Amino acid sequence: MGAESDVRWRLVVSTTFEVFNDLFNLFWILGTAVTILVIGYILYNVIKYRDRGVMEDGAQVESPPKKQDKGLKLLLSTSLSAILLLVLIFGTFGAVDYLDNPPPGGIDLKVIGYQWGWKFVYPNGYIATGELRVPRDQVIRLWVTSEDVFHNFGILSYHIKTDAIPGQANLIWFTAREKGEYLIQCFELCGAGHAFMIAKLVVMDTEEFNAWYSSVGGRRG
Amino acid sequence: MVGVAEHEVPPAWSVKRWLTTTNHKDIGILYIVTSLFFLVVAGLLALIFRIQLFAPNLNFLSANSFNQMVSIHGLMMILWFLSPFAFGLANYVVPLQIGARDLAFPRLNALSYWLYAFSGVALVVSFFQQSTIDFGWTLYAPINTAQFSPYVGVNTGGLALLLLVTSVTISTVNFLVTIIYLRAPGMKLRNMPMFSWSILITVAMMLFAFPPLLAAILMLVADRALNTIFFVAPEGGAILWDHLFWFFGHPEVYIVLFPAIGAICDVIPTFTRRPLYGRTWIIGAMIAAAVISFTVWGHHMFNTGINPDVRKAFTVTTIAVSLPFDVMVFAFIYTFAKGRIKLNTPFLITLEAIFLFIIGGVTGVFLASVALDYALRGTYWVVAHFHYVMAGGAAIGLISGLFYWFPKMTGRMFNEKLGRAFFIVSFAGFNLLYFSMFIVWEMPRRVVTYLPETGWGFWNTMATVGGFIFGLSFLILFWDLLRSALYGTPAGPNPWNGTTLEWAIPSPPPFQNYEGQPVVTEEGFKFVSMNGAPHVEHESHMSPWPFLIGLATLAFVIGFTTNFYFFLAASVFGLVTLLGLVRERFVVHDPKLGERWPFLNIEKVKLGFWTFLASEVVLFGTVISCYVYLRFNSSAWPAPGTIFNIEHGAVNTFILLSSSFTAVLALLASKVGNKPALIGGLAGTLALGAAFLVNKFMEWRELFDHGVTFSSSLPGTTFFFTTGLHGAHVTAGLIVLVFLIYRAFKGWYLKHNHETIEYFGLYWHFVDIVWVFLFPLFYMI
Ligand code: HEM
Ligand SMILES: [Cu+2]
Ligand SMILES: [Cu+2]
Repeated sequence: MGAESDVRWRLVVSTTFEVFNDLFNLFWILGTAVTILVIGYILYNVIKYRDRGVMEDGAQVESPPKKQDKGLKLLLSTSLSAILLLVLIFGTFGAVDYLDNPPPGGIDLKVIGYQWGWKFVYPNGYIATGELRVPRDQVIRLWVTSEDVFHNFGILSYHIKTDAIPGQANLIWFTAREKGEYLIQCFELCGAGHAFMIAKLVVMDTEEFNAWYSSVGGRRG
Repeated sequence: MVGVAEHEVPPAWSVKRWLTTTNHKDIGILYIVTSLFFLVVAGLLALIFRIQLFAPNLNFLSANSFNQMVSIHGLMMILWFLSPFAFGLANYVVPLQIGARDLAFPRLNALSYWLYAFSGVALVVSFFQQSTIDFGWTLYAPINTAQFSPYVGVNTGGLALLLLVTSVTISTVNFLVTIIYLRAPGMKLRNMPMFSWSILITVAMMLFAFPPLLAAILMLVADRALNTIFFVAPEGGAILWDHLFWFFGHPEVYIVLFPAIGAICDVIPTFTRRPLYGRTWIIGAMIAAAVISFTVWGHHMFNTGINPDVRKAFTVTTIAVSLPFDVMVFAFIYTFAKGRIKLNTPFLITLEAIFLFIIGGVTGVFLASVALDYALRGTYWVVAHFHYVMAGGAAIGLISGLFYWFPKMTGRMFNEKLGRAFFIVSFAGFNLLYFSMFIVWEMPRRVVTYLPETGWGFWNTMATVGGFIFGLSFLILFWDLLRSALYGTPAGPNPWNGTTLEWAIPSPPPFQNYEGQPVVTEEGFKFVSMNGAPHVEHESHMSPWPFLIGLATLAFVIGFTTNFYFFLAASVFGLVTLLGLVRERFVVHDPKLGERWPFLNIEKVKLGFWTFLASEVVLFGTVISCYVYLRFNSSAWPAPGTIFNIEHGAVNTFILLSSSFTAVLALLASKVGNKPALIGGLAGTLALGAAFLVNKFMEWRELFDHGVTFSSSLPGTTFFFTTGLHGAHVTAGLIVLVFLIYRAFKGWYLKHNHETIEYFGLYWHFVDIVWVFLFPLFYMI
């Protein structure tokens, strides 16, 4: 796909992107907070209870206290973590129910991965190679498969992907919000050409798209 | 004194000593040195391909070389560095910690080592045979088949994996039996040191995780060599590989991680000078994580189109598995609190491992979320995450253990300043290397290059620089340890005031570990003199056969992939060495006393045998599950009786069951000391087993004549593979039988020496039982 520089990298561009972003932020905030707290707490304890100097000869190890800790504090910290994790699980379920259930209407396309490129089969039978043109604001459902080895079809800026596996078709969908060109890439090592198994997603206005679509032999309607 | 003095074996500077030793400390050191060698090889590979990724659009490496390097880097780091490194430490430390003189089966331990070492050589050789594995360490299907990767080197790589799995299986049995059977009196599981506990849990996981890998690789080798169609079948072949690989793969992550956690758990109380907080909880947490780890493999398959509800279930199990680790980390923190913490190198590096592990764990929760994984799968997020866990938590954790036990192994202290330098440089390099990858997480992994307009260049540059800094830290480490091993100040028996048993004996420990029998009491350790204990025979500590068998397997692998005559010669050599091993008289004295809960009254070899059979059960269970899976995925399957002739199956069932009966007769005869009946029973079993194989052979011929071949269809593929694997077990049994009959003629195995016949019987009954499952599955339903 060369060096076209109008490829967009980081914009709010599709429904799937929005859903991903919200969830990612939830994880990101909680994850960072927990990491900082825990590492901070470790450092606090290590510094506070630090015994200066390294081990000298003959220092005695204190014999373990007679009354062993029951470990109850662990119950507390673990329950707290469990609650956080529950939040993450429910967040995930909400998002994935949306991502797994494409709304009706729109366009169904077949995507075929091969060593090394992508083919897109339109409802009218038109086959495009290396370029996926779709209208914006419509549900696009992609049925992804492969004609040779295991690939993975991913649209970078939309944060969706699915495996392209010979013998089966996996479904992903999105609704593009903004016109533009986006990068499609393979995410499963599939041989020498894997890094170059790139295609372009072109989001067009509906009229523009319809004009193009009829020019390649089909009519939308 | 029972033991052998050091001077009865060749001295430490002689090559012969290292090629023939069966001593656990020697083998521990061999493992550690060899695994560090593979760390260097795999690390250099990584540095080379990091140069390629330094900036966008570089042409430093071709895609072919890059793909090979990434794949071998991953395989080698996990299977030829991390696990063997952990088992090097375990070899050295576990017997010392539990009060044993050696592992349960010292010669098999040497065999594990040599199989491992030579399998690594085979893997390196595979680089020079057209192309080695170049489709990632996960070996996804169907690109792993001959159709897409016809290179010789891939076969060599596959066989190297088989050798490695063999080595691992032997170690698994050995360590399980050692920890269960050879604990000193008073060494209850309840107070067994944490490192030994972690190894116990690790090998228990290995017992269940490796047979599925073995099954997967056997099927792959069959696909490549015999044209079966497991992984090219559109009826779910690719997904089948995913299931098999990750059912092994996720537990494998914990298999490399737990020994590191065990080492950390021993380092922490020593340097905080407090008992480990919530020790029982930590053990419980490890067991819980070990169990749950077998239920999470689907998180590697969120993109494969498996059922959406199943995906959610895998999200829940995966997130749940982070809780036990939560328990461990907090237990560590509560141990720090109110301690008197000495910041010696081992403790600093333990802290480093914990920090890195926390980051790895938290970022792993992202991947557990199916919705996020739709985006994160196959990206540098994954690469960063698993390096934080495996290179950070596991490798650095084990290195902390290496520092900790270094004075014990060498009798000398390392240089503390250099140790701290390693800590600082490795921590800085590591985070620069891998945190950069989090920042460019959208980048696909395993790509040889990327486009400039992606903006990924800067952080890739940083990662490469970090990689070299991280590499530098290992130069410091090796320099420190090498120099200190030779010139360090003497350490004395217990430089850290450690409280576990290994610190109660000199450094390095004497050849036989203890003067007298260690006994654990309320007050501490005692060494009960064993003077006058009557032992008729000296124990053995050397054997040339493990090394020679290892060599033979390497020759076998190279012959298999290059030259048929060489292959034949290697096979003969292999049989000769095996026979040499079996015929060699190798004496090991078992302690009369010890803690053996929960298997109080089982004899050692039998325990080993049962363990081995357990792994066989998992192997056949896996193979049968694959059959069931493929059958359910196929839209049509021939009705029973249409291709596989029930008569052949029924006759063979009858033959095998009768042979179990003759095997029982042989055992009875052996027990009462009736030599003719023993020979008769064995010969009868041999004859029936041979008849089984002949009937099988005729059945296969008929099938071939009717066009049912390895490659004709899935029914053919699964049938030939499964019954073939079973037939191979029968054949192995027959070879053993020939040997047993030969010895029975010479008067072996009578009365009190009946155990061998008993073990053989166990094996043989097991093989029969497998058939009892195969018969209805393939012929009747
Ligand atoms: C100098 C040290 C290291 C560097 C620079 C390094 C770097 C890398 C990089 C860049 C990849 C490629 C990722 C990809 O494109 O898929 C990779 C893969 C991998 N590394 Fe490392 N690594 C290092 C050390 C380690 C260590 C210590 C371990 C484990 C103990 C490890 C385990 C792995 C594994 C399992 C893979 C496989 C990735 C895959 O399957 O795609 N690495 N490493
Ligand atoms: Cu690819
Ligand atoms: Cu996993």
